[in-house]
Amino acid sequence: MKIALLGNPGVGKSLIFNQLTGLGVEVNRYPGSSVALECGNVCYKQEKTEIVDLPGVYSLDGNSEEETLVRTFLTSGGADVIVAVLDATKLERNLYLFVQAAEFSPRMIAVVNMIDAAERQGMHIDADILSSRLGVPVILAAASEGRNIDRILPVALGQATLAEVHVPYDHHIEAALKSLEKTIGTPVHTNLLALQGTGDDPVLLDAAGAIAQEIGMRHRMSVGQIIATNRHNFAREITAAVVKRTAQKRPYDLDSLLTRSFPGIPILCAILFFLLLSVFMIGSWMEVIIVEVFNSTIITPFTALALPPLWDRIGFSVLIALQAGLGIAFPFIFTFYIGLSLLEDTGYMTRAAFLADRAMHRIGLHGEAIIPMVIGFGCTVPAVMSLRLLKTRREQTIGAFLVTMIPCSARTVVIAGIVAAFVGIIWAFSIYLIVFILLILTAVVLSRITPGEQFGMIVEMSTLRMPQAGLVLAKSWLRIKEFLFIAMPVLIATSILLGLFQYFGLTELFEQMVAPVTVTLLGLPGYASTALLFGVFRKELAFETLAVLAGTADLGSVMSSVQLYTFAIVSVLFVPCVSTIAVLYRQLGAKIAIVTSVYTVFLGLFIGAIINILMK
Amino acid sequence: MQPSMREDYLEAIQLFSEKNARFPQYEELAKILDKPLQEIRPDMGELFVSGDVVISPEGMITLTGKGKQTGTCVMKKHETLQCFLSEILGMDSSSASDEACTLEHTVSDETIDRLGKLIVTRDHHGHHGKQRHRKPAGDRPCRTQSDEFCQSPSISDFSEGEEVVIQCIHGRACAQRLLDLGLVPGERATIRRKLSNGALVVQVKGCDVAVSPEIASAIGVERLP
Repeated sequence: MKIALLGNPGVGKSLIFNQLTGLGVEVNRYPGSSVALECGNVCYKQEKTEIVDLPGVYSLDGNSEEETLVRTFLTSGGADVIVAVLDATKLERNLYLFVQAAEFSPRMIAVVNMIDAAERQGMHIDADILSSRLGVPVILAAASEGRNIDRILPVALGQATLAEVHVPYDHHIEAALKSLEKTIGTPVHTNLLALQGTGDDPVLLDAAGAIAQEIGMRHRMSVGQIIATNRHNFAREITAAVVKRTAQKRPYDLDSLLTRSFPGIPILCAILFFLLLSVFMIGSWMEVIIVEVFNSTIITPFTALALPPLWDRIGFSVLIALQAGLGIAFPFIFTFYIGLSLLEDTGYMTRAAFLADRAMHRIGLHGEAIIPMVIGFGCTVPAVMSLRLLKTRREQTIGAFLVTMIPCSARTVVIAGIVAAFVGIIWAFSIYLIVFILLILTAVVLSRITPGEQFGMIVEMSTLRMPQAGLVLAKSWLRIKEFLFIAMPVLIATSILLGLFQYFGLTELFEQMVAPVTVTLLGLPGYASTALLFGVFRKELAFETLAVLAGTADLGSVMSSVQLYTFAIVSVLFVPCVSTIAVLYRQLGAKIAIVTSVYTVFLGLFIGAIINILMK
Repeated sequence: MQPSMREDYLEAIQLFSEKNARFPQYEELAKILDKPLQEIRPDMGELFVSGDVVISPEGMITLTGKGKQTGTCVMKKHETLQCFLSEILGMDSSSASDEACTLEHTVSDETIDRLGKLIVTRDHHGHHGKQRHRKPAGDRPCRTQSDEFCQSPSISDFSEGEEVVIQCIHGRACAQRLLDLGLVPGERATIRRKLSNGALVVQVKGCDVAVSPEIASAIGVERLP
């Protein structure tokens, strides 16, 4: 048996999914789509049941990747039973999706989640009436308290039925549906989609298009609007029959602080600053421990083996890559993900998007773009993946440049390790300042020259709620797994390549070749170019390699302050790391990946040269 | 009172209020309709009883929601008929207006709908010059509402805390997501927050939806009567 959870974003689907499946979760990617599908297995009465958590959607009619995926899943009969998860406090809006899903006639049950929150608001939902109106079993549940979650599997496996909901569409639409069904023989849900211009049967689309135009003329309203209105009205009617409200004192509305320009924007800045600062503090503390433990337990015994030089070099490269990956992934990125998941699960992220909308418009984006930006401070790889949130190619292009330029946690390590330690804390902040100025200039220019239309933001404000520790951890764990999955292979491969490079003595050759640039233009010692090259593989390594090549950890004794400063700023701006290039290529294509890389190389060298000339 | 007379009164008051952005006094109404004052007073009393108008102590005649609806509806019928008679049948405009005054009371919604469509189609095909008459704004009973021609003010023109009824969504690109979130014609919405740049948080169906300024300006609304 296969069960799929369907619902709007933020209805608590993931929490229910986690409670049903426990920790054995795997993330699958649907063919041809970058949307993740979480799957898990459970045993119920000695039978294996697979549970799929579909991405949260508001509707099945749209053309976003998530909506298309859920629609394909439903039409292809991807699951035996659909568990529709509804938010009790927003029942009417949630039923809109339910009635759409019911048109695909799967076997369904309905789980009305967050019944505890609804009760606190003085809403009483009559499960029996709801069940008879929808024609499927209804479970009133509260996932945050674990209430009635254990009933979901037995009911889904034993009592799921076809829903009996028939939206009374406008009579012209009904007539169109009948005539399409008669002439072309396609089912109702396909015809409804075709009337709105979605589908892959050209004959049907042609016929439906003509009818839709006629209906649109007659009503002076697009068919999409008529259908949506009919469904919403139907959902309202059901809601009116099942929900009873008793007056309740309204709790204090935190939004009166959070969504106003003042004090909302200062709060937003404080939260982001605190997030980055704590990631940095916790990260550097944990990194030292991890690196030391790794050194003493694995690397020292390995070097003691005294393998033949070539194998020693390859093995060492692999171990260094593992150490580097773990040393950045867990201390910095995992900590950052926990903070990020907290921001998302409390519902604060949507407020941040609303407040940032104005600033983002200045650079050709809109409020939702703040999410990739914030993620970019943790790690560029997931930030590029989250660019999917931006709908148009134009927004994604601008976003790709910005996200690759934002100082990620590895670059923070470079700034802290080189500039803050040897030059001064103020100078470290000045690097951030320079990067942000360049970032804004780049964005302003890009928003002028990038072709394409600009769309605004339409975001549902999630309800503010207490985050669940287990869910936050599970979410961060899934994300870090995804990060390791993408970044680790690239890290290991590049590490081996560079190891061999050194083994065959190509490093000196490389240093001589690029000496005009490093020595003359940037005023750095020759070996700095190798360190920069290692930085491409992982930013933080630029710093570590520099120390190794300089032969001392006290960099201040071998390089001048200006040299250190120049080196730091070049490696911060210089090419995104290989994992970023790989994910840019996968997500946005070769062109964007090449252009951003080349742009950042020139930007890094240009700024480095200016600093070298000005401060020498 | 004859139904046609009631409609004439309401139409005249509505027209006056749209032109002058305020409601008329007895004297002004008498002047427009060319009727003696002593005839107007008892008629207004009757309209007050039927719930179409409210009369302030200063003698200002204000339309109620019901009166406004009828008034607007008749006015739109008048406009459509006059446009049809003068621009398509080629009658001169003053006799077209007189004729429209009589027809507007008996014509059905369906006829107006089809006439309106005819006029628009002809304009689209370039048979005729620019549309001179103002297109009807959206009041559902008239059924001449359209999103292309919706002239309701945008939600950006309202301020924080106000309640409105959504009339139409302009544009295609952003429409679907708004519809899915429940911003459909006829739905009530409250403006929960408005920032200085015009970004809004709108509450519909108990959910808060945040929109950028340019999206907000595509949402046509009327103030909740």
